Parts: sequence; structure tokens; C-alpha cells
Amino acid sequence: MRLSPRQVAAFLGRRLLFSAVVLLGVLVLVFLLVQLVPGDPIRLALGTRYTQEAYDALRAASGLDRPLGEQFLSYVGSALTGDLGVSFRSGEPVTQLLLQRLPATVSLALVGIGIALLIAVPAGIWSALHEGRVSDAIIRVTSQLGVSVPDFWMGMLLILLFSTTLGLLPSSGYVPITEDVGGWARRVALPGLTVGLVAAAIMTRYIRSAVLEVASMSYVRTARSKGLPAGVVVGRHVLRNALVPVLTIAGIQLATILGGVIVVEVVFAWPGLGRLVYDSVAARDYSMIQGSVLLIAVMFLLINLLVDVLYALVDPRIRLA
Amino acid sequence: MKRRTFVSGILLAATGAVAAGCSTGEGVDLDGDGDTGTTGGTEGATLRVAIGGEPDQLDPNKTSAYFAFQVLENVFDTLVQPDENLEMQPALAESWEVSEDQLTWTFTLRDGVTWHDGSPFTSADVVYTYRRIIDEELANAWRFSAVTDIEAPDERTVVITVSAPSPNLLSNLGGFKGLAIVQEANVTSGDIATKPIGTGPFSVSEYRSGEVIALTANPDYWGGAPEIGGVEFSFISEASTALAALRSGEIDWTDVVPPQQVAELEGDGELELGVTPSSDYWYLALNQAREPWSDVRVRQAIAYAIDRDAILQAVSYGTAEANQLAIPKDSVWFTEYSRYSLDLDTAQSLLSEAGFTGGTLDMLATSDYPETVTAAQIIASNLEPLGITVEIRQPDFSTWLDEQNSGNFDMLMMGWLGNIDPDDFYYSQHHSSGGSNAQGYANAEVDELLDAGRVETDKDVRKQTYADAATIIADECSYIYLYNPSVIQVWSPSLTGYTARADRAIRLAQVGLAD
Repeated sequence: MRLSPRQVAAFLGRRLLFSAVVLLGVLVLVFLLVQLVPGDPIRLALGTRYTQEAYDALRAASGLDRPLGEQFLSYVGSALTGDLGVSFRSGEPVTQLLLQRLPATVSLALVGIGIALLIAVPAGIWSALHEGRVSDAIIRVTSQLGVSVPDFWMGMLLILLFSTTLGLLPSSGYVPITEDVGGWARRVALPGLTVGLVAAAIMTRYIRSAVLEVASMSYVRTARSKGLPAGVVVGRHVLRNALVPVLTIAGIQLATILGGVIVVEVVFAWPGLGRLVYDSVAARDYSMIQGSVLLIAVMFLLINLLVDVLYALVDPRIRLA
Repeated sequence: MKRRTFVSGILLAATGAVAAGCSTGEGVDLDGDGDTGTTGGTEGATLRVAIGGEPDQLDPNKTSAYFAFQVLENVFDTLVQPDENLEMQPALAESWEVSEDQLTWTFTLRDGVTWHDGSPFTSADVVYTYRRIIDEELANAWRFSAVTDIEAPDERTVVITVSAPSPNLLSNLGGFKGLAIVQEANVTSGDIATKPIGTGPFSVSEYRSGEVIALTANPDYWGGAPEIGGVEFSFISEASTALAALRSGEIDWTDVVPPQQVAELEGDGELELGVTPSSDYWYLALNQAREPWSDVRVRQAIAYAIDRDAILQAVSYGTAEANQLAIPKDSVWFTEYSRYSLDLDTAQSLLSEAGFTGGTLDMLATSDYPETVTAAQIIASNLEPLGITVEIRQPDFSTWLDEQNSGNFDMLMMGWLGNIDPDDFYYSQHHSSGGSNAQGYANAEVDELLDAGRVETDKDVRKQTYADAATIIADECSYIYLYNPSVIQVWSPSLTGYTARADRAIRLAQVGLAD
């Protein structure tokens, strides 16, 4: 059954509208962040020795002296045009600083999710199809371990093994892929593996239960009983239907990683968004924190939108719902 | 004098006091490209340094971040600069004279100094920089409070006029890289924040946000071209990562070392460790505007009741240096003083004399400086036997400042850093009209001594003046001084000629990289 372009457009329109509402909510929260924090951000930015004139000037420059409603409208207006203000700490435009950090985080996220999929898809399917056997038990225990291990500890163990003991890979640092592919690959290996292993553990469990659920459906029983080869049953009936929950969890994982694997980036001194958020929080750089949260929320929304569209391609029932 | 910035950076610097081990570690070229490797020991190699965070900006007059000064120490110069004993020596000024009335300072600038862009350095640059700091009311403008005029009669002469004799003028001008001489064109173009041009031993050649700041040796440096070819600063905030990078040869030097690692590193034969007391100090202050803390006997009782050793262990794993005055023992201004020891009987009898029968104490700590919270917990249990119930508050630092300034506390703990001259250590904190006297201490004799020290030009007399003032201050517990924290650094044995310093300056102009 194929859908008309109109139905697809209506589906996308609904999703976009929904995203816009969420975005507005995020904007309100992000805006209120500065109003709600304890202490005076202007004072923090100035340090301990300053004159009243300097205080008033910075307060006026940051717009914090205007009425709340006016501040909000001006913030939203600027944010929608890509102007997120200037960093309290460095005085550089927030948008520019965020864009500088994006490539490092995107490359780490893609490597991480790639590693996770490479491990989780075969492991999850194998585990489900061999339910109750030894291999299933091993995969389940291993993935439970992976979920339980904190990522900073995993990162340190990997550094200890691959950098300190074996001397194979650098423990920290970053080279843009555009400059030196080999250098980038060597440096992304350990943080990518850390992110990937943790995500793989989570995804393996989801994939296993999704496959198990579909495999117990009556249409799978029917397909089996009418004598279809096992490969066809698994490929055409089980996996295709199990794809929806897998897409969901993969999307969430990707968005989470993009949204700043703060701890991993800090451990590996990776100059991405997570590190930026960490530094900004440590420095109480509120405009920077606002910008980062907003960017992360937008990325989350975009990935959710993408996953929704993929659902529709995979499973026509969802479009009609 | 500078209040610790609220960005909690890792403390730094050390005078190579404890150098552990002597075997050289074997470096691994992890890049596979060799060009940034240092293990070859060739002239012109790049020194790789890991600091705990990224500078906010590279304008020395505007930044207050220690991470920025770690880099800028090697890019900019001041008129004079402190040597290893923190005494002022010639830098951009090769000599100076003070007029008979002590009110006019004439500096003769070094000849032939050039900026990194090749243009000549002149007296106009000095006047521009100082006027910029004063006129724009930058964070260090207070260092010029005694200065009434700055002139440049010719290209190599700068004349500074002061309103009263100012023996601490040199340490104000050179004790801190925040007073570095900058280039007007570099400032007006706005480049100084990311592409600064200085006169120092290295120039900034590359800055990639979040990744690296690269410096290249300045072959025309007035102090002689550096032996190494350049420096790469990377930013690693996680100590275990920094140490792993050092051990595997990815970096040559780091100060991202928590005090709890010191004991382990002391036994590590493959790394050099430097631990030495800094000129920072941490103290307690009781609010003398409130009863019963206005009574000197009650304050002294607390000074006798606190367990300084326990606090030292808890906050620094024993790496800090106990001190009952502010100035550390390595300084020429150090005064011996050890009145207080843990003595509950003395404390109890002082309280009885004062008629104190017990009560609560509102202790202001801050979560931004965890040592204050740790110490407060120890102090709370120390004071319990005296019938004092300590209620600990730990707001963020900006709230802490508000509470301090509005006098809303019984006792607080905080630290000061970056002091060189004794005036910086004592005047604004303990003079009755001092700007940082939040505890409300007032003693006419101390005021007199601090005023006299400010204008006393005979060094021995001046030292005695401050020793007298400090002794009264500690006797009367205006501050209850606790300790000088240590600066902790670790480096590879291939780094030669490096001297870590008590003032936290990381000077790399003279270092080499050996095999």
C-alpha cells in the first residue's frame, strides 16, 4: 500500500508543529535559567573588584535591566535568527563557539553510534534467536555489565589498557578529520569505543526484547507453520517488524551522544559540546549554557523528526495512526 | 592581591623542591608523525604542556583566569618581573631611579626590543597600557591607586609620579602578568583576545578553541632566543587522563594533579614531581560586628580549639604548609609566629573569662571551594566541646560574596592568592578603612603600622613594621590563619632547566628538552 504525497505532507506537518511547541517550551526554560539561578550572574562575570559603573554597563549590555517579558521576546527573536548573544566569559559570540565545537561532537557521535550498532544489532538478534541458551546468557550478562559501568570508568580503563600499558593509542586530544584522517582516527578510537560500548549495551537489550516480542507473534507462527525457511521468516517477518523499537532506541542514543557525552568528552579532553557545557557550567557562563542547551534540544528534535520519518518508511501503520 | 577567581582551576606552580626519581622514561611517539615529538631531544623541539582548562581570552589586561596567565606568562612582559625569590628584577625596563622625595620613578627601557610583529617597542606602549588599565577601570586599576601621572619624555623613558612614597610600586607593576605591556594596534583591532602580540619569548602561532594554543619561539627575544622551538598547550581537566598522557609520552608537563596523587607520584621514578608552598593563604575570619565574636578572647578560644593538622590533612592530604601568619616561609617577608596550638583548656578558660556560655555559630563556606566545606565540618566537631554549635552554610560563590559583604555571617573561610608585597597581604584586609575588611577589625596601632609600612623605604625597617602588624593581627585574631597551599606540578625527566615557582608563573624561556 502506498501513501499519497498529501498524507505524507500532513504527517510531516503534524510532526513539525509538535516540534515547534516543544521548542517553545525549551526556549522558555532556557530563558528562565538565568533568572532562576542563585546569585547575580553579572557580579560573577565581573569578579570581586569592580565599580558600580562597570556593573551597570554590563547589566545594560546583557539586557538584564529590562522587564522580563521584553527580555524574553528579545531573546526569542534573536535566538530564532541564530543570535544567541555573547559568552559572559570570553566575549565571543555564542553561536560561533557552538559551531566550532559541533564537528568534534558529531564525529564522536557517529563513530560511537556506528560501533554501538555494529555490536548491538548482531548481538541482540543472536541473543533473541537463541533465547535461553548459553550464548544468550553471556550476551545478557555482558550487556547488563555494560549498562552498569559508568562511562568515565570505562574510559579510564580503556586509557589504562590502550595508552598507558600497551602504548597503542593516544589518551586524549583531537585532530579534525579534514586535516589528518589517520590522526583523527587514532584519537577518536578510545572515546568512540567508550561511547559505543555503553550505547551498545543499552541497545542490545532493546533489540533482543524487540525481536523476541515479534517472534512470538501469531503471524510469525503462521509463517513458520506454512513451511517458510527460517531465514525468510526472520528476515522478512521478524526483523522488519522489530525495526521500529530499534530505530527508536538508536535515535535516542544518537541524540544523547550528540547532546554532549559530557563525561566522556571531559575524560578524553575532547573539544566537543559536552566539554563546552562542562566548562561553561564551571565558569557560570550563563549565555553559553543557554546556547548549548538550546542547540542540544534542537538536535534532539531534529533526530526525533528523522526517526519519525523513518518509522513511516518502515511501518505504514504509523502514518495512519 | 587577588581574591581567588570563582572558576575553580587546579592550583599550580612549585619550586622543584621535591624531585622524585632520576631514571628517564621512554617516550612513545603516539602520533606516528614524529614532528611534534619531543623525545628526540633535538634543538627546536616542541614542549607539550597540559593545563586544566581553556583560557577565557588572551588579553592579559582583561582576563582574570589562571589558565590564561599560564600561557601569557610566555608571551608578554612586564616592566619589571619577580625572580625566584619574588624580588623585582629588570624586564622591559633595564633600570630605574627614584627621586629623593620618593614621588617620581624614572624607568629606562631596554633598547632594541621589538613586538612579535617586528615593530619597535617604545615608552608610548607603556603609557598606553597603563592608561588603558586606569581609564577603562580594568580589574587591576587598583594597583595604580597611588599613581598620579605617567609620562614618556622620550622613546626609552617612562616617568611615573605617585602621591606618596610607594615601596610596593615595583611589585604592583611587575608582580603579576595582568600588568603586561600590550600593543595599541593589537588592542584596537580586537585581535588581542585570540591573536595577541607581545614582546615575550614566544609568540602565539595558533589557537584552536577547545584543542590547542601553540606558541613559537621568538628568535629576537631580548632575554635570548628560547632553546625549544615552541610550546603546545592542551586542556585536560581530568587528572587521570593528564597523568596517563604524561606517562605515555604524549605530553611533557602538567599541573593537573590533585593533592591525593602526590604520595603515589613521589614513588614514581619515571616522573619529576614538584611540590612547594605557594604565597596563597587560607584563613578564618570572625564577624566582629556581632556578639560574642567582638570579644577578642572568644576569637582566641576558637583559634586554640581548631585542629589545624586535621584540617591540613583533610583539605590537602598533607601537601599544604601550616602557617599562623599569611606570608609563606620562603618569602623574604616571612615572620616566625606559632602562638596557637590545639589546647582546649586554654580555649575553655578564655571563654569563661569572656562570660561565654555556649551558642550557635553561623559558618559561611562555599561549595565552589570545597576546602571551605571540608574544613568547616572539622571545625564544627572541634568547637562542639566548647558548647559552640556550628551551622554550616555552603552557597555558591557569588551568594557567598554578597553574604560576606553584607556582614551576614559569624565566621567564614576563604583564601587570597597572588600576593608578593606585604602591603598586599595585610593592608586592605586589616586596616580599619581597608576595602576587604569584612570582619570589621579595627586597631589604631595596626592602622598606624600598616600606614607606615606603605611609605617606608628602608627594607629592614619595613620588614619589622609588617612583622609587628602581623603579630598583633594574629594575636587578636582578625584573621585566624590556617595554611599556605602547595603548588603541585609533574613533568617528564626530559624537560631540563625548568624551575617551578612559588608565584605560579610557568616560565619556559630557558627550558630545554633532552633525550
